[in-house]
Amino acid sequence: MRRIQSAINTASPDFRQNRDHYRRLVAELHEKQSTARHARPERDIARLERQGKMLPRERVEKLLDPGTPFLELSTLAANMDYEGESPGASIITGIGIVSGREVIIHADDSSIKGGAWYPLSVKKIIRCLDIALENHLPVIHLCDSAGGFLPLQSEVFPDRHMAGRIFRNQCLLSKAGIKQLSLVFGQCTAGGAYIPGLSDYNVIVRGTGAVFLGGPPLVKAATGEEVGVEELGGADMHTSVSGTCDYPAASEEEAIAIGREIVAQWDRPQKWACQREEPADPYYDPEELYGILPDDIKKGFDIREVIARIVDGSRFHEYQPNYGTTLVCGFANIWGWKVGILGNNGVLFNDSSLKGAHFMELCNQNNTPLVFLQNITGYMIGQAYERRGITKDGAKMIMAQTCSRVPKFTVMCHGSFGAGNYGMCGRAFDGRFLFGWPGHQIGVMGGEQATNTLADVKIAQMRRNGETFDPEVIEELRETTQSAYLEQLSAYYSTSQIWDDGILDPVDTRNALGMAITSSLNAPLGDSGYGVFRF
Amino acid sequence: MALKLTMDDTAYALDIESLRPELKVEIDGRKRSVIDEGTRDGFRIIEIDGRHFEFSQARDGNRVFLRLGGRNWIIDLIDPRDAAGEAGNATDEIRAPMPGAVVTVHKEAGSDVKHGETVLTIESMKLQTNLVSPRDGIIASFLKSVDDTFEKDEVIVTLETEASDA
Repeated sequence: MRRIQSAINTASPDFRQNRDHYRRLVAELHEKQSTARHARPERDIARLERQGKMLPRERVEKLLDPGTPFLELSTLAANMDYEGESPGASIITGIGIVSGREVIIHADDSSIKGGAWYPLSVKKIIRCLDIALENHLPVIHLCDSAGGFLPLQSEVFPDRHMAGRIFRNQCLLSKAGIKQLSLVFGQCTAGGAYIPGLSDYNVIVRGTGAVFLGGPPLVKAATGEEVGVEELGGADMHTSVSGTCDYPAASEEEAIAIGREIVAQWDRPQKWACQREEPADPYYDPEELYGILPDDIKKGFDIREVIARIVDGSRFHEYQPNYGTTLVCGFANIWGWKVGILGNNGVLFNDSSLKGAHFMELCNQNNTPLVFLQNITGYMIGQAYERRGITKDGAKMIMAQTCSRVPKFTVMCHGSFGAGNYGMCGRAFDGRFLFGWPGHQIGVMGGEQATNTLADVKIAQMRRNGETFDPEVIEELRETTQSAYLEQLSAYYSTSQIWDDGILDPVDTRNALGMAITSSLNAPLGDSGYGVFRF
Repeated sequence: MALKLTMDDTAYALDIESLRPELKVEIDGRKRSVIDEGTRDGFRIIEIDGRHFEFSQARDGNRVFLRLGGRNWIIDLIDPRDAAGEAGNATDEIRAPMPGAVVTVHKEAGSDVKHGETVLTIESMKLQTNLVSPRDGIIASFLKSVDDTFEKDEVIVTLETEASDA
């Protein structure tokens, strides 16, 4: 395979301007991540210390094999919700290595409001368990949650994808032979009690860990019975009387040590035989991505320059290099794994859509996972293209993508607008992992177009109602819609809602994809076949 | 399979005739047989036509650094597709890849351009795209200027025709 020949001039003023801009974005990202991970009120840290508890991140660190990577997911979930009161949605999730096995970790963050679950906390746990189900990753739950956040209980409890889904997923995991271990560090009350209850293995810490459907105050109110925490649902009662828990631990350290020993007994899943070659670093420096990504969402760039800074040896076998050139398709390797890459180099036309659909079929035939690099303003519009059937060609691309049997991975590099998001495996299409870059934007249309459309609608409405046309009112409307709309387009809004699995510093993309692909191979390939392609 | 490489800037062509039981290779028309004798003290030992050689090597992409006979050699393996070049794609025109309008013109008629150099920026569907020169050459003319609109596949820039070899 040939090495991509980069045309980037790292000394050019454009490159420097872009680089300075993106470095600021990345610095902002790191700062936000650090705050979400570590900034906590003194009293919360003191409370955990008083209870003899570790900080949730210390638990995760002690659980993982030393010196191994941890791919944290959705670090900035809820960063724009609940007035910032629930950093990381009060949950830590990520993929790491425990006793030599790949696992996914769900840890309640008890340094925030006792680890209470906000609506987005529940969404994040469910996403974690969906990842476990789709990729056959064993789960380790580090339980320390006060339960559902009562003021928002209606958004936590009743619906299909709310708290009940956690327990439903736990059952399906166990049925599929995907193991779960709970380490009970705090009180698991009501629904929360089912997390250890539905885990195949669990460990409970004496003195601080407890499992019960109703805590002492609720029991007293309901039946008048007066009972202490330890007798009602403590470590010794559950491990010697009820059998709800398996192993008592004298301390958090011991619980983690027992947990690691349990994981060491587990068999290792067989990965399917994805083609692999000797891994090699990219020939071009990934840090150059900062200078390649434009400082304006409207400016394009050659996606091959991005591919060259992600794949092994910067080598790329481009498929149909002269056809449908606004969609770049080709084979490469990431961490040695063979992948098929689809990257946008402009609007999707009829030919580029057909090329994309055909290339995905080749990858499904060849058992090659798909990587989508999104920078898309949509499918081409206009009479000439409708007459040529741009809608049905776009439909073919979406059909091939949705029905793909190989694992899919998406990176939101720059713009993700309109139906282009669908064809390129947006969140709704069950890719195994989806990551965003800090400068990306996502929306049904770009900020400018949306603002103009909304203003036009308003003007037409005013005319219809016989109101006098006031340009100042229109200008004000334009400004308020634009700022609200732009906020919702941002990568931070997207990750706040868990529309992705986290924002990546672009230089980390290769390693994140490498870990994600490696994890994905635990689950067998999906079923072959497609629906009806409209020709 | 034929291989092409340069060793310290001298070009060689290799033709591998068989790999087993021993490597038989034709180098620039001369047949050689090579026997792998394993490693000793971190050096690999091979026998070529009865003579023994010790060497060590490190590889970086298509470049191999070789330590042999007290000397360092640099060997570049030549990818047949790189050797074939891009000649087939070079044309005298830059055509619009999509309908749109010209935003910026970066060059002027008569100026030199390099292969891959940006000649003008267009906007279509709210996305700006740089159009680059398909080859080294001289710009003959711009058929569109800033704010002009065009259809897909319309010629926007022409390059001066290169003198043919004949």
